[in-house]
Amino acid sequence: MSNQSLSRSLQENLSRLDGIFGASSDFYTKRIRLGSIPCAITLFTGISSPEKLWVMALDALQRSRVRVPDGPALLDYLLTESVIPAESTAITDMTDLVEKLSNGMSVLLIQGCAGALAVSTQEMPQRAVGQPNGEGDIRGSQEAFTELLRNNISLLRRQFRTDSLVAEVHTADSRAKTEYALCYDRSRVPPALIRTLRRQLAGVRIPVLLDSAYFASFLKKDKLNLFPAAAYTERPATACARLCEGKVVILVSGSPNAMVVPSFFSEHFESLDDYSSGAVFAGLIRILKYIAFLLSVFGPGLYVMAVSFAPETIPIELLAKLARAEAATPLPLMLEMLAITLLLEIVREAGLRAPKSIGHTVSLVGALIVGETAVSAGIVSTPVLTMAAAATVATLAVPSLYEQSILFRFVVILLAGVFGLPGLACGAVVILAMACGTEPFGYDYLYPLMPPGPAAWHDGVVRAIWSTLAGKGYAVDKHERE
Amino acid sequence: MKGNDPSLFGALLLSLLVRILLRTQTLFFSRAGLLTLLPGILLSALGGVLFARAWGRAQGRAASLLFAALLVFGAVVEILNLWQLYTAVYPDAVSLLGVCLTVLIPVVYLRRVSAIAQTANVVLGLLAAACALLVVSVAGRLRLVSLQTDVLDAAALQSALAAQCTLYPELLLPALWQDSAKRGRHTVLRLAAVGGVFNIGVHLLLELFFGAAMPQAIDPLHQAASRGNLSIFDRLEWLQLIVWTMAVSVKLGLYLYALTRLTGAKGADENSLHGLPGFAGGAAVLVFLCAAAQHWDLAAAARLQNLAAWAFAALTVLMGGIRWLAADRKKHG
Repeated sequence: MSNQSLSRSLQENLSRLDGIFGASSDFYTKRIRLGSIPCAITLFTGISSPEKLWVMALDALQRSRVRVPDGPALLDYLLTESVIPAESTAITDMTDLVEKLSNGMSVLLIQGCAGALAVSTQEMPQRAVGQPNGEGDIRGSQEAFTELLRNNISLLRRQFRTDSLVAEVHTADSRAKTEYALCYDRSRVPPALIRTLRRQLAGVRIPVLLDSAYFASFLKKDKLNLFPAAAYTERPATACARLCEGKVVILVSGSPNAMVVPSFFSEHFESLDDYSSGAVFAGLIRILKYIAFLLSVFGPGLYVMAVSFAPETIPIELLAKLARAEAATPLPLMLEMLAITLLLEIVREAGLRAPKSIGHTVSLVGALIVGETAVSAGIVSTPVLTMAAAATVATLAVPSLYEQSILFRFVVILLAGVFGLPGLACGAVVILAMACGTEPFGYDYLYPLMPPGPAAWHDGVVRAIWSTLAGKGYAVDKHERE
Repeated sequence: MKGNDPSLFGALLLSLLVRILLRTQTLFFSRAGLLTLLPGILLSALGGVLFARAWGRAQGRAASLLFAALLVFGAVVEILNLWQLYTAVYPDAVSLLGVCLTVLIPVVYLRRVSAIAQTANVVLGLLAAACALLVVSVAGRLRLVSLQTDVLDAAALQSALAAQCTLYPELLLPALWQDSAKRGRHTVLRLAAVGGVFNIGVHLLLELFFGAAMPQAIDPLHQAASRGNLSIFDRLEWLQLIVWTMAVSVKLGLYLYALTRLTGAKGADENSLHGLPGFAGGAAVLVFLCAAAQHWDLAAAARLQNLAAWAFAALTVLMGGIRWLAADRKKHG
């Protein structure tokens, strides 16, 4: 198309637009006359409202009886003198014109003028601000981000009422020209972080950008590392808390998930409720989450290793029961555990993707009937099923690390099943080294857990009471400020 | 929280401690060891400090290759030590290739300084916890009367001193990182002191456990661990083995990192993916060498390693001294 300047001829501009959008039934043009000058209104019905255009512009223009000699004078009048709430600069090329139309604006083309006027008459179809689906919190704000970028920025601004909140909107280098916003508190964010992020995101070339998570891979330094380079939230309240820590929130148009960078390991074990409930209880819950993560990753592998290679690790009474159960099943233990873990994942995936009306049935059939019948038929043993189910439930205690838990679990089962004790150690070091080697924007991923220090006890492994926590005021660039 | 210039002291210390845990732990009784502890620490530290001073001047292609050979030799001995331990505990269950793979696979993720440093700190914490657990689990079987009270003769003291005068490669490695930010100050002295005290601690524990029979015990620390019990758990040696295996992986990561430095990779490359082929290649060479050396007498290999380390350090100090004298003469003449 289209990096051409607008023509002075109204007809030519309309012909070009017709060439671009003519086949689209929602493209609307209407020729009008302002004073004696021929003009044309162009917009997309459905995302732009002719009624709004009438109320905001056309009615006012009709009343004011415009008297200007030619097109450029009319444009100048509309931009500088009239009361119409138009965009402050004129459109001068086709790229800008197409972008404005696609954003839901109405554009006024004027005969004899190589510029056009955009008026914000967007009326996007949108869902109301609802509750977050994936982040269960009992207390605090129950609002969730929606799909509209501007709405999401306003949700953020409503909670973060300072002059230092910046929301930079950029257009991604994608076919769909999707917009994204970098939101940060300019008084707290490290300047180097925002500079690097701006540069990296500007360099991202992607065919389609449907979610903020698409950026994550581009921000990763070590592509072999499975730990996430960023955290995600559906809650403006959580995003707001992260802004206070000097982090950057990335919102992508069309996605209700905000990406937060840099993200640290301990954040996966935190939730908004931690800060609303008592410090002791919150600390206990966090420790439970760490244990749940370890159980979900190492539990099945440890079981396979213990029963297959090192039965001496198991107390004798328990060992006798496990041995009886295992003797009655035909598969080797590692295969049995892998099969059950796979089956549970298939059930979960089916329950998640199936239509809601049958989702529960899928889960019920999978979890109860298949599990029960497999045990009754002697295909799998009850202890294996118990361990696999416990690991799956434990995974859900830390939902943001779900992908990693599953992948690590399979790796650990395989290593422990093939190599035994050294295999389990290998899995542990690999996971640990991955976590330690993750450096989101040069920061330690394991902060504040590692290197060990008082910060781990203030808001890391556990949380200190608010009166202590409030005085600490942690931010990502704390060390740089000191 | 910014991960710039992480200290490698933890990695060096972990590497040294696992060497003590995996080598023969019944070289002397603790009384002789205590009496020779200080000279042992000072001599080892002196060797390391002089080497670090001389390395800057003596460094060259040949010296780097010799250092690299010493590290490779140490890595092979360590893997074989671990394999022998596994073979003794789980005969026919663990192959040499299996042990090699399991300790070398993690190296892929241990090629960055920050990863090595942070992982080592965590594993060091786990090692400390495992050691504490070991002591608690065998506490009921430790007998003060087991301490040997024979009159100490010169031969016993000499043997204890010789055993403590070990120039671990970890005491030489700080020379590669001249900037103290990557290892902290007085690294060699601190390493030698902690290593010496830990060594005595291990010998003391074993003497309290085995008494006069200590020198005859095979894999004594593992044997002691296997007899410990806590609550309903009777055998906890598997926990020690897992932690030791993790520590060996970190040690190999550190050695391979040092090898990449010795073979020419510099500053900016350390943290990038460029080092990956080098690491993978180094790991493959180690597997091959382990296969070739699987029938070695490891006690003799450890003695040879120590001898080679002292000889290499002495040669480096000599070369460094000569070059320093030559440079000094040129400056004044």
